[in-house]
Amino acid sequence: MIQNLQFYRGTGNNPYDNLAVESYFLQHCQPGVCIFYLWQNRQTVVIGKNQNAWKECNVDLLEQEGGFLARRPSGGGAVFHDLGNLNFTFVAPLEDYSVDRQLEVIRRAAGRFGLDAQKTGRNDVTIDGRKFSGNAFQKSKGAGCHHGTLLIDVDTTQMAKYLNVSAKKLQSKGVSSVKSRVVNLRELCPSITVENFSQALLESFEEVYGLPIQTLDDKTFDWEEIRKISATFASWTWRLGREMPFSYELEERFPWGGIQLRFDVNNGKVTDTQVYSDAMDTDFVEKIPLCLREQPFSLPGLADALSPLAKIPQYTEMTADLQNFLRNAPQQEKGGDAE
Amino acid sequence: MNTPKEFLYSKSHEWAKKLDDGSVLVGLSDKAQNDLGDLVFVNLPAVGDSFSAGDTMCDVESVKAVSDVYAPVSGTVAEVNEMLLDTPEAINKEPYEAWLVKLTDVSGLEDLLDADAYIAVCEEE
Repeated sequence: MIQNLQFYRGTGNNPYDNLAVESYFLQHCQPGVCIFYLWQNRQTVVIGKNQNAWKECNVDLLEQEGGFLARRPSGGGAVFHDLGNLNFTFVAPLEDYSVDRQLEVIRRAAGRFGLDAQKTGRNDVTIDGRKFSGNAFQKSKGAGCHHGTLLIDVDTTQMAKYLNVSAKKLQSKGVSSVKSRVVNLRELCPSITVENFSQALLESFEEVYGLPIQTLDDKTFDWEEIRKISATFASWTWRLGREMPFSYELEERFPWGGIQLRFDVNNGKVTDTQVYSDAMDTDFVEKIPLCLREQPFSLPGLADALSPLAKIPQYTEMTADLQNFLRNAPQQEKGGDAE
Repeated sequence: MNTPKEFLYSKSHEWAKKLDDGSVLVGLSDKAQNDLGDLVFVNLPAVGDSFSAGDTMCDVESVKAVSDVYAPVSGTVAEVNEMLLDTPEAINKEPYEAWLVKLTDVSGLEDLLDADAYIAVCEEE
């Protein structure tokens, strides 16, 4: 039985540090204690544990624009966070872990602003069929972690730009995201802010569990351990380098002819490149895969890797065209509708 | 709940089956797959990884959560069931066919539960 409610409000906006604090809570979960953690990330796409980053997110564009790509240890699909989004986390021992009770805290917080929130399906909380909270779950070593987004005033144009990617270009295993119609709470109730919704959550947390909240002092945390976990979450290997083979196809017409490229990728690196062209000579077509083999998969990065070919006089122009095309491809990919 | 007699079980709901060559297949019990719900992804360990009984061996993602899978016995991974990478739902359909790993150098089988003892544990939950 839960005997102690603990609360912590994250202080920074870096997704890897914030996820690390959450993992720290999960790994040090205490009997009888439910931790409630509120946190915010700046310009971040968070993908589920078993997703292909490039299939769910325009990774190159996000990184070109200074955003973060993070992979969380829980399941489910890709979400976009900015400072108009508030994340919540519940950590509790499995015997006291109840998704329904935890979601009741969210429902009641919305209720304090006159909004009637409903749990929809397994993972969403909606108002009039529009989703304002996506939830994901993880169970490890006798403890459960339930976390979710709360769209207060998120930039949905940015959300669409990073999350809408063309499905036909990329074939991969992994868990696919489900598109939903989203809504910002502020649109439904203009007086809602991150601050007053946080306060409503805390009051609802006490109400649902019938206990007073104790606020955690982060001076007692083992920050060395948290920094280590954060370094793992920030690492290329965790975010992009996981074993998940996929192929990515691109095509373009240039003044000198058309070209089709197919990159085979595993562990985040190019294993093979197939080039089809009606204009290039065989020698050039054969040199491209040699330049790209074992390169980390990123279209601007692959453009850079073609630079040696630009030094061969008869290939200079074609190489420059190809490099420009690869560098600009992430911009072309920009999505349309907010979903 | 289907709990075949010829398998051994852990309290954390893995099954183990000893093969004639002394190696041991490990999978998830019918109760485990039922509690997890529809599986959408399986993360298998690497061949050559060694585990002690109770260690986190790999994890599975269902529509409900990512959940750890624990090694029911100590041993070294000799083979993984790569078919599950394409068809994680096989664990829901045929939990006792859909093995996750084959372990060698196994110890600790004697600490596992037989079907009757496992059923008793599940009834207490």
